[in-house]
Amino acid sequence: MSEQKVVKSKILIDMVNDKPLEDGAVIFENGIIVLSGNYEKIKDKIQPDAIIYDYKDKIIIPGLVDCHTHHNGFGDGRSGDEIGTMPDDVLAIQSAKNAKTSLYSGVTTIRENGPKNLTMMRLRDAVNDGLAIAPRMVLCGRPVAIIGGHMGYFGGEVTGEDESLALARQLIKEGVDYFKITATGGSTATSFPLRPSFSKDELYAVTNEAKNYDMLTATHCLSMEGIDYSLDADVDMIIHCNFDKSNGESEFDPKLTEKIIEKEAYVNPTLHVGRARLWSLMEGNDPSLGGFENKRLNSVSITNDRKNVLDARLDMAKYGLDVKLDHCRKMIDMGVKVITGSDSSWGDYALGNTVHETELLVESGYSNFEGLKSVTINAAEALGLSDKVGSLQKGKSADIVILDKNPLEDIKNLNSVSEVFFMGEYINRGSVKSNKSYTQNRPMVKE
Amino acid sequence: MNNHENNILILQAGELIDGTSKEVKKNISIVINGNSIVDVKPTGELNLPKELEHQIIDYSDKTILPGLVDSHVHLTGIGDGRSGDELSILPDEVLSINMANNAKKHLHSGVTTVRDCGAKNNTAFHLKKAAEMGIAETPRLVLSGRPLAIIGGHLSYFGEEITGINECRAAVRYLIKQGADFIKVTASGGSTKTSFPLRPSFSQDEMNVIVEEAHKFGKHVAAHCHNSESMIRSLTAGVDTIIHGVFKEYDGTNKYREDIVELMLENNIYMNPTLGPGLMRVEIMENKKKAGVFTDIDQEESDMVSIEHEHRMECFNRMHKAGVPMSAGSDSAWGAYEMGNYFLDIEGHVMGGQSPVEAMMSATSIASQSCWIENSVGSIESGKLADLIVLDESPVNQIENLRTVSQVIKDGKFIDRENLL
Repeated sequence: MSEQKVVKSKILIDMVNDKPLEDGAVIFENGIIVLSGNYEKIKDKIQPDAIIYDYKDKIIIPGLVDCHTHHNGFGDGRSGDEIGTMPDDVLAIQSAKNAKTSLYSGVTTIRENGPKNLTMMRLRDAVNDGLAIAPRMVLCGRPVAIIGGHMGYFGGEVTGEDESLALARQLIKEGVDYFKITATGGSTATSFPLRPSFSKDELYAVTNEAKNYDMLTATHCLSMEGIDYSLDADVDMIIHCNFDKSNGESEFDPKLTEKIIEKEAYVNPTLHVGRARLWSLMEGNDPSLGGFENKRLNSVSITNDRKNVLDARLDMAKYGLDVKLDHCRKMIDMGVKVITGSDSSWGDYALGNTVHETELLVESGYSNFEGLKSVTINAAEALGLSDKVGSLQKGKSADIVILDKNPLEDIKNLNSVSEVFFMGEYINRGSVKSNKSYTQNRPMVKE
Repeated sequence: MNNHENNILILQAGELIDGTSKEVKKNISIVINGNSIVDVKPTGELNLPKELEHQIIDYSDKTILPGLVDSHVHLTGIGDGRSGDELSILPDEVLSINMANNAKKHLHSGVTTVRDCGAKNNTAFHLKKAAEMGIAETPRLVLSGRPLAIIGGHLSYFGEEITGINECRAAVRYLIKQGADFIKVTASGGSTKTSFPLRPSFSQDEMNVIVEEAHKFGKHVAAHCHNSESMIRSLTAGVDTIIHGVFKEYDGTNKYREDIVELMLENNIYMNPTLGPGLMRVEIMENKKKAGVFTDIDQEESDMVSIEHEHRMECFNRMHKAGVPMSAGSDSAWGAYEMGNYFLDIEGHVMGGQSPVEAMMSATSIASQSCWIENSVGSIESGKLADLIVLDESPVNQIENLRTVSQVIKDGKFIDRENLL
C-alpha cells in the first residue's frame, strides 16, 4: 500500500493558477503529486492514514529550479582557474556538500553548468548508491571548450568538427543530460571574453548531435558575436548574454534580441554573480582577477597600489552591473524568455542564495509572480522538465518548499525556507545554525 | 582593548574521566584557552584573575572524558555489508564523498581522532586536504593512505601491491612523501578474496625493511595479522601495533600463544583487538533469529561466528591480564559495521574483562599512545588539545552510557552535531 502524505497551509502558490489559493493542500503518494488545490475541495480524497503536515499560515510553493549552478565551486572569490587545479576527489567532496546546500535552501532541481572531469557524474553515482543526497541534477559534465578557452581546465578542450563531435559522443557515453559549450572566452585567464571561441561549424557539430538525441544545449556568451554564432547553431539557451562588441563597448542590440526571440532561445542573464563581486569588493575583499576583468583592467595601470586597483575594480563592477540590469530590462520588455540561473558557486556567489538572482530579475522588470515563474515553471520549461517539476500539479514530482513569508509580497522572501520536501520525502535539513552558514547578505555599507 | 587571543572557557565537570588514571574524579574544572587545555583543578580550587574574561559552563550533573580516539577506522567503508573487494571498484570520487560523510558521522558520535588503516589510491590524503580547506568536517586524521600488500594480498585492491625489499622501501618513502602519518601493512591475508588469511604475506626481509624505513622517518607501523605466524614476523620486524591479532595456526586451529604475548610485552607493543566487528556479527545473527529468518546455513555461520568470537574474547582476556596494552579501534565502517558506533567496540573491551574505566582508557590514552599522538590528545591534562566529550549519564558502572554523548568539543570548539551540510 502506498503511503499518502499531505502538505497544507493557508497559502498555496501552485504555479498552475495565476493566483495563490487560500487554504491549499497538496496530496502526494510515492513521491508524485496526486492532487492539489483548495483543502475543502480535495479533502475527501485524503486517506484516513495519510500523514498530514499542517503548516498553518505558512506558504507552499514548488521546489525551486536553478538553471545554472557550479557545484564544484566555492563562491568565496576564487577563480575557476584555481578550481581547475584541485584534485577530483576534493571537488567531489565539495560538490556533495554544495548539493546538500542547494537542497536545504529549497532548490530541488539544478542544471549544473560545468565541473571538472567526471566529478558531477560521480556525485550522481554516489547519490544512486545511497551515499549522498542531492537535488534532481541536470548535468553537462565537462563544458565543451576550445584550447585555452573558458573552462578548458575542466577537461573538455577540443578543436575542429570531428573532435567536437567526438567529445559530444563521449559525454553522452558518460551520461550527461545536455551540452554546455563556451562560445566565447570568460573569466578563464587564457581565454578571450570579447571573441567567439568556436567556429559556427564546430558549434553545429555539437548542437546537431544534441538534436539527434533530443538533448538541449546552452552556450556561455560574454560577447555578441558568440551569441550570434550560437543562435545560428540553434542553441537552446544563451548564458550571460552580454551585449558586448569585440572592442569592449557595451550596447544593447535590439536586432540580435529579435533573433533570440525568433529562435525561441532562453536567456540566463546571470546578474547577481556581478553584484556578488561588487559586494565582495565593497567588503574590502580582494577576489581573484578573472581574465575578463584582467583584460578590461588593461586601461588601468596595475601597480602595487592596491587601493587604486580595487577602486578601479569597484567602479567597473558597478558599471558592469548597471549595464547588465539595463540590458536585461530591455530583453524582458521585448519579450525574451529570461529565466533564473544563479551561476553559483562561481566567483563570489555561493550556492544556497539563488534568490539573489531572481531578485535582480524582478528589479529588471519582472513582477514578483513572474520572478517566481522564472525560478519554477519557466525554468523547468527551459530545461525540458516541465512535465516533471516546476509546479504543484497532478503527476509531477512532489518537490515542495514551505516558506515563512510570502514571495509575492517581496521576492526576497524566497529565502525564508522553513521546510523542504523532495520527491515526496521530508528533508531533514539539520540545525538552523548550519543552514544560516551559507547565506550571503548585502554588505552593510552603502552601495 | 579586548585581548582576542584569550578565549577562556571553563567546563565544570560533575565527573571526570581523564583518560590516563583509573581514578574517577568529582567536581573538576577544565580550563580551556583557545584550542588547548591549560588547567585541570578541583572546582573549588580554581582561582582566576577577576579581570580575565571567561565563560563557565556547568556540567555538574554530567561526565566529561577525553574525545575518543579510534585507532582503527576505514573511512572508505560503507558498513552495509559489502566486501572490500566490492568497495574497491567504486570510483575514487564516490569513495571520497563517502569518506567525508563517515568522518563527520564519527566526529558527531564523539570520536575526535581517528587512525585510518587503509583507503584506495589517494582518497585519504585528499580527504585531509578537503578538511584543511574547510569543506569536510572530520576528526583529527592519522593516515596510512594505501596499505602495503603483497600481490593479491589483503587490501591490495587499494593500490599498493609490492614485492621485494626495494619496492617495500620505495612504497614507504612514497607514502610518506604523500603525507602518510604511519604505515599500515597487511602481514597476513584477510577478507580479500585473493588473499590467504591463515598465511603470512610479506617475507621477514620485506617486513624488516618496511619497519626500518618507516621508523627512520619517525613513523609507526601497524600490521594486520590474521594468524600467529604473521604476528611473529611483525614483532620480529619491530612493528608498533598488531591489528586483529588472531591466534591461529597454519591449519586454522585456534591456539593462544604465550610466546607471542611475551614478545609483545618485551617491546611494549600495542594490540588493537577489533572486537566491534565480531560483536556486530553476533548481533546480526541474533536479529535474524528474532526476525524469524534464520536458516540452517545461518545456524552454521552463527556457530562459527560464536566460536571465533569466544576465542577472540578469551585471548583478549588473557592478553589484558598479562599486561598487553589494548588499543580500542573499531575497524568501522568495514563490512557491516557502520560508522558512528565506536561504543560497541569499547563495550567489547568490557566484555573481554576490562573495567569500564579501563575500556575508556583503551579508547583514549592507550589508543593515542598506539597512534604516537599521546602528547597532544587522548587525555584531559594541562597542555593537551581541547578535545572532550560530555555524557549525560555516567559510564563508570555502565559502559553503554558512552552512547549518551550530548556535546563534542574539538580544538576547544563545540561541534554542531546537527550540522548536516
